[in-house]
Amino acid sequence: MRTIRACAVVLLSLSASLAQTVSSRIAGSANAFLATLDAGQRQRVLFAFDDAQQRARWSNLPTSMVRRAGLSMGELSAAQRSAALALVASVLSPRGFEKVRQIMEGDETLKHNERNSAMFGQDLYYISILGTPSPTVPWMLQFGGHHLALNVTIAGERGVLTPTLTGAQPALYAVNGKTVRPLGQESDKALALLNALDENQRKQAILSFRLADLVLGPGQDGKTIVPEGLKASAMNQRQRTMLLDVISEWAGIVHESAAEARMAELKADIDETWFAWSGPVTAAAGSNITAYYRIQGPHLVIEYAPQRLGGDPSLHVHTMYRDPTNDYGKKLAAQ
Amino acid sequence: MKPLLVAAILLSVPAPAIAHRLDEYLQETLLSLGKTRLQAELTLTPGVAVYPIVAADIDSNRDGVFSESEQRAYAGRVLRDLSLTIDGHPVTPRLVALRFPAVGEMKAGLGAIYIEFQADLPGGGPARQLVFENRHESRLGAYLVNCLVPQDPGIRIVSQNRNYSQSVYRLDYVQTGMRSAAPPWEWSDGRLLPAGVALLLLARFAFLWRRRRVAGCSTCVS
Repeated sequence: MRTIRACAVVLLSLSASLAQTVSSRIAGSANAFLATLDAGQRQRVLFAFDDAQQRARWSNLPTSMVRRAGLSMGELSAAQRSAALALVASVLSPRGFEKVRQIMEGDETLKHNERNSAMFGQDLYYISILGTPSPTVPWMLQFGGHHLALNVTIAGERGVLTPTLTGAQPALYAVNGKTVRPLGQESDKALALLNALDENQRKQAILSFRLADLVLGPGQDGKTIVPEGLKASAMNQRQRTMLLDVISEWAGIVHESAAEARMAELKADIDETWFAWSGPVTAAAGSNITAYYRIQGPHLVIEYAPQRLGGDPSLHVHTMYRDPTNDYGKKLAAQ
Repeated sequence: MKPLLVAAILLSVPAPAIAHRLDEYLQETLLSLGKTRLQAELTLTPGVAVYPIVAADIDSNRDGVFSESEQRAYAGRVLRDLSLTIDGHPVTPRLVALRFPAVGEMKAGLGAIYIEFQADLPGGGPARQLVFENRHESRLGAYLVNCLVPQDPGIRIVSQNRNYSQSVYRLDYVQTGMRSAAPPWEWSDGRLLPAGVALLLLARFAFLWRRRRVAGCSTCVS
């Protein structure tokens, strides 16, 4: 109930701020959140913009296993929590925020399934701010917990979402009789692309070896591996459009103007972008794939890695979204 | 450890829908290739169910603590389980750095052992082939091997090939701007042999030509 109320406040604040510029709206949301905190809380939520330790303090793992810093949702009052979620929503697109909300809801489901385990749940997501929220000077918002690590660098109208980790367990659950798949589009669109390839293209795209996990997960900032699979220059226009549509599931998490600029960059790179797949090439209708896939370009690494832990890999997914040339928005900060 | 004991340990651990690694020993290798040196990071993460097997291998005196000497000894065993060849010639990986997590983290399936190693690569021709094999705990291992994009623009990756489990990895690449490091007296690689034969023939012809000229002069009238 508390989450529904918080989301309603978020939506109201979003519609009220449509007329504002993106940068001032985001900075306003950040300052509105900070204004709800006492001095001790402010001290805990604020970090230096160049705090390398805090930047890298994220993981796919629950917060009891890998400690996060900042303020958890569970220790905030209802008003503070609403303001925190409004800030998160302000740096994301509506569908990006919906994805985040579903990942958190999935973790609450996991908590319920695991007999109210203290390891999981919506209270265990942390918010932190690096630098000073400003419409012009770069600063960062971090939000994450189990299966979620948003690292958003904001510089004026621009926003950089890399590195960001999304995941889900269960990656398919029901709420009020409705099936929810937080990362369902990532699964369905990639499978559709694979099915749109001809036999020769599939031979190149499908790797002959098993990929047990993310290659460039937490702790692997700034690294670029040799790309593999099918190069998009060997795809037709429809296939390239489908590939961009898969990519948009990550690039479109950030707010619209930043996403638009990012998609333009990735579209310009498309001929140098690779698509690789490892694992089963089918999925039951309405289920997630159980295959790993990777999309890699000059400014992009996306990995989708189902996990065996918990039994069914279609129900436990980790994904990674990176720009090895621009982790934590270092290019924006350098300007 | 006997296979039956391994199986018993694996079967004794229930499979809850929890968040940590369970019944595999994840071994991720990232290779960084230079013209004369290979550097590599090996990250080893034992799952909860296989931790007792890995711990028994590390903790040789069974005191429940991974001492520095036990850690180094284990890293040495891991490196001996690796095989590395360049153009068919074996090269030896050398330990550069080692980090062990807390025992508690490893027990929970979270802690990763980090081993950094390097190997000197002898000179060779422009087309080269590196083969890396990881046989460490092959019954439990889930392997990942990748090569970072080389920093040296004179190295171009041609292809990567792996077996299904990624325990064997073959990297074909070409490099430019390198002279062979093989000493001139080393004939075994077959490339200097024709040059040597040509040199000997040239010397023989020079000797014959000089002898003939000297013989010719002895009959001439000045």
